Amino acid sequence: MNSPFRVIGKSFARLDARGKVSGKAVYGTDFAMQGMLHGKLIQSPIASGEILSIDIERAMAMPGVYAVVTAKDIPAQRYGSFVKDMEVFASQRVNFVGQPVAAVVARTVEEAEEAVRAVDIKYKELPGVFTTEEAIQAGAPLVHPAWQEYKAVPTVKRDGNVTNYARLVLGDVEKALKESDRVFTHRFVTNVVHPGYTEPRAAIAHWDDSNQLVVWSNTQLPFEAQATLAEIFKLTPSQVRVNLTVIGGGFGGKLRLGVEHYAAAAALKAGRPVKFVSSCEEEMTSALPRQPLTIELTTGVTNDGKILAKEASILVDTGATSGSGVGVASSVMLMLAGPYKIPNLRLESRSVYTNKTPTGSFRAPAGPQGNFAVESQMDIIADALNIDPLELRLRNIVREGDLAPNGQKLESVSLETCLLKAADAIGWKDRKPARGRGKGIACAWWTTTSGSSGVYVKLGPDGRVFLNTGCAEIGTAALTGAAQVLAEALGVELADIQIVSGDTASTPFDFGAQGSRTAFAVGNACLDAVTKLQQRMKEIAAKQFSAKPEDIEITTGGVKHGDKTLSLREIAAVAQASQGGLIAHGTFIAPPTLHDKERTENMVITAINSPSFHAHAVDLSVDEETGEIKIHDYVVVQDVGRAINPKYIEGQIEGGVVQGIGQALSEEIVYENGIVRNPGLTDYKMPTAMDAPNIRSFLIESPSKVGPYGAKGVGEPPVIHPPATIANAIAAAVSARVQTLPITAEKIVRTLAEVSTKAT
Amino acid sequence: MKVEFLEPQSLQDAVAMAKAKGVGARFVAGGTDLVIQMRKTGVLPEAIINLQRLRALGEIKHDADGFSLGALVTHRQIESEDRFLGGLQALRESACVIGGHQVRNVATLGGNLCNASPAADMVPILLCFNADVTLVGSSGSRNIPLAAFIEGPRKTQRAHDEVMTDIRFPKPAGKFASAFLKGGRRRAMEISIVAMAGVVSMSAGGTMTDVRLAMGAAGPKAIRLAQAEKFLEGKVPSKAVLEEAGKLAAAAASPIDDVRASASFRRHLVGVYARRVIELGWNRISEAGNDRSAA
Repeated sequence: MNSPFRVIGKSFARLDARGKVSGKAVYGTDFAMQGMLHGKLIQSPIASGEILSIDIERAMAMPGVYAVVTAKDIPAQRYGSFVKDMEVFASQRVNFVGQPVAAVVARTVEEAEEAVRAVDIKYKELPGVFTTEEAIQAGAPLVHPAWQEYKAVPTVKRDGNVTNYARLVLGDVEKALKESDRVFTHRFVTNVVHPGYTEPRAAIAHWDDSNQLVVWSNTQLPFEAQATLAEIFKLTPSQVRVNLTVIGGGFGGKLRLGVEHYAAAAALKAGRPVKFVSSCEEEMTSALPRQPLTIELTTGVTNDGKILAKEASILVDTGATSGSGVGVASSVMLMLAGPYKIPNLRLESRSVYTNKTPTGSFRAPAGPQGNFAVESQMDIIADALNIDPLELRLRNIVREGDLAPNGQKLESVSLETCLLKAADAIGWKDRKPARGRGKGIACAWWTTTSGSSGVYVKLGPDGRVFLNTGCAEIGTAALTGAAQVLAEALGVELADIQIVSGDTASTPFDFGAQGSRTAFAVGNACLDAVTKLQQRMKEIAAKQFSAKPEDIEITTGGVKHGDKTLSLREIAAVAQASQGGLIAHGTFIAPPTLHDKERTENMVITAINSPSFHAHAVDLSVDEETGEIKIHDYVVVQDVGRAINPKYIEGQIEGGVVQGIGQALSEEIVYENGIVRNPGLTDYKMPTAMDAPNIRSFLIESPSKVGPYGAKGVGEPPVIHPPATIANAIAAAVSARVQTLPITAEKIVRTLAEVSTKAT
Repeated sequence: MKVEFLEPQSLQDAVAMAKAKGVGARFVAGGTDLVIQMRKTGVLPEAIINLQRLRALGEIKHDADGFSLGALVTHRQIESEDRFLGGLQALRESACVIGGHQVRNVATLGGNLCNASPAADMVPILLCFNADVTLVGSSGSRNIPLAAFIEGPRKTQRAHDEVMTDIRFPKPAGKFASAFLKGGRRRAMEISIVAMAGVVSMSAGGTMTDVRLAMGAAGPKAIRLAQAEKFLEGKVPSKAVLEEAGKLAAAAASPIDDVRASASFRRHLVGVYARRVIELGWNRISEAGNDRSAA
């Protein structure tokens, strides 16, 4: 293929590869400071109760101990994304097992651990609620009895344990269901899964001589960390400086504060820098896993498979704080409607407190849960109507110019292409090739999160180009993608670019590495910077050549005017000598996605920005006796708008699929009365290399109007479809439909036994 | 808290150190269980006696009577041992599914047995081979059948000052094959929810003889399945015969419900894997077609 691009579309090695491969990269867990102490959390052993007393005397007398920090040592301040229901240390009540109540600061980690056991905390246990069904009952114990005192965004409609009740409504569902030939109702339940980043959450904090809080951490969002820390410690944001370390994976699990606030509180009291690193057990009991959802989904169809109406009731279990769960409860409705054209919708969701681990924003929040429900049910309907599942989808999917369920007009819609390609690649015509073997398909759309981005692009003295960004590189290579956009537009090689990132004091603001937006938004800010930089280059050259700026031509690696040329290095030299160097501030904010506000009630997320479209297909075998799954082939067709770096997009796809397979088949944080029964990686089963199948990726380039060179967000989508795709293939292979995640071998065997009992 | 770290240069020293330090001392070899226990409980032993200098315990030997595996033999050694091809291949099959590469490089057979997890993957096949273990302590040396050595979860007959030195088993006679299967949620880094090992020989008349079947992770300790073995003796493994053996095996299981699997699923898998292990072993004898399997 003849590409018009020099740098875009090529699989260059990522710019941070060398440091990561050689071990020279300094991760959060590696980072150390002179005089640094170590902190360890003291966590609640009960799921619900009151703190009666905290006795720190014995711990303070232990060797190496500098301080024991509790809620009394910091301002009484609640914080949170939509509802301010979180506190750093529990002040009066504890709401989940693992909730931090205090922290010990000591010379070594071991001394801190020893002292943790010496702090005597007395609790009065109170009844808790552990399922959303219990929590919404009238008279259920309240996880936050003082919920009415908490501040919240005005959009949310709260009541007791419910942190938002939201609806998406269109047309007349009642009438449409009456007119439907068939009406299907199913219940789907999803699992609590951990983002599974390789590096635990880590932070070092210290208070400098001007009483500024300085933090080094492996957060995904330095500017959000800055704002939240300022809120907690009653500082102005500029009194908090957050520096990024290299980050060992995030997957959304490092969007919100991890351990930065503990480090800051501990450093404040101890008067020395303090480092916190989450233990594996803390990760499994008190990090921010994906919300489990219970989805009741009703769909009315005609006999020829036209969807007339969808109705859904969704319960989002956010755990002990609402966190991102309020957002999940909104965006899941956009997922549940489809990527389908449905004239009548009545979807309602509640985000609900329970006395369990607070949940967070794991990669494609709401995506896998909603998709599992809607795409599983599509296959059930197809079977019942005796229509091929692919055909049923093709009869209902959105196409160019259609309206999404929120009323937004869809552009660059490539879903049909994705579905047909996936079906073709997996060999769909032979969908049930042998006993125990079957193929499944599922499709979805996903958003490219908006938010603003700024970059400084600076010309170094030797013509090298510095890309200074406030966005983190969390391992996806998305900043390398942004650098490719910069290199392409500026007319330099990728190797000429050096990325500088992660210091809230010196980098421009960025909404951060989240929501599939990094290469998209930072890339666009780079394009803006290039426009500004090139204007300045022309002005400099014009002076040199005694010409007009508009007559200067930009070339690869410099400028020219007639036969006179100036290289970037020469321009940099002139700029350094005459005007303090050359630097451009590029910015980007995505245009708002227009939608019909009449349809959305109390939703905190209402649109699918620059939507991407995708389909997955799988070919697998099921051992009917042991329930074991063997995946023979896995196909992903993803519309990426423009493949900026195909290799790293494939990396995102393969990683996402394996993560999705974990949610589909093996991963689950298991609770019993609020206590995690598998708080370690022995029994929390992420797929190993031995479990990862062959994955084939096909990239579709249906350009978006907004993204750099037409790019769409690519990072999150791959994790959305595996649960539904695999569930559909299992049902095709052995006629067992499992509607709860994960689909373990045991559930398959049990379901098969139930099916055969019913048959006899 | 300080932990004393001792490095004996000889077996005698190791025993003497253990005796001197008393019950607060723990032996360490690969450390893949001990270190995890220390981290998990936060309870540290008073002394750790490292056995890694006792290199003589790291060898696999054989003579006309059978095999002797030093207690410090690693799972990596077992899974890559050429002498454990053919009839003894279940040893390799058991060793290669324990933990991951890093664990198998250092985890020792002696450690796996002394740790006495009900899910220890090496135990079922060694029970099938009627293995003995040798313990050397301050009052001398003794041999105990492996079946008696492990008493229950994390409980063995080993006295605190006894070092396990080797694991021995006789080579089965005639034409035989072995097989090992395990059930779990993943293909690596997985603690078995059921482990099943089998050894089967073919009689001159073409029937099964000297059938040995052992299961792990389906009761407080791994055990031989005597009733199923007896039932299979002298029979040809027809579908009905295998079904019945599976039922007998499942009846002998006393599994627990835990976060990994329910008791009823474990029992179900015992039946399936007992049948499949015998079937697999039998197919291997038939495929081998000659006595090479016992080499």
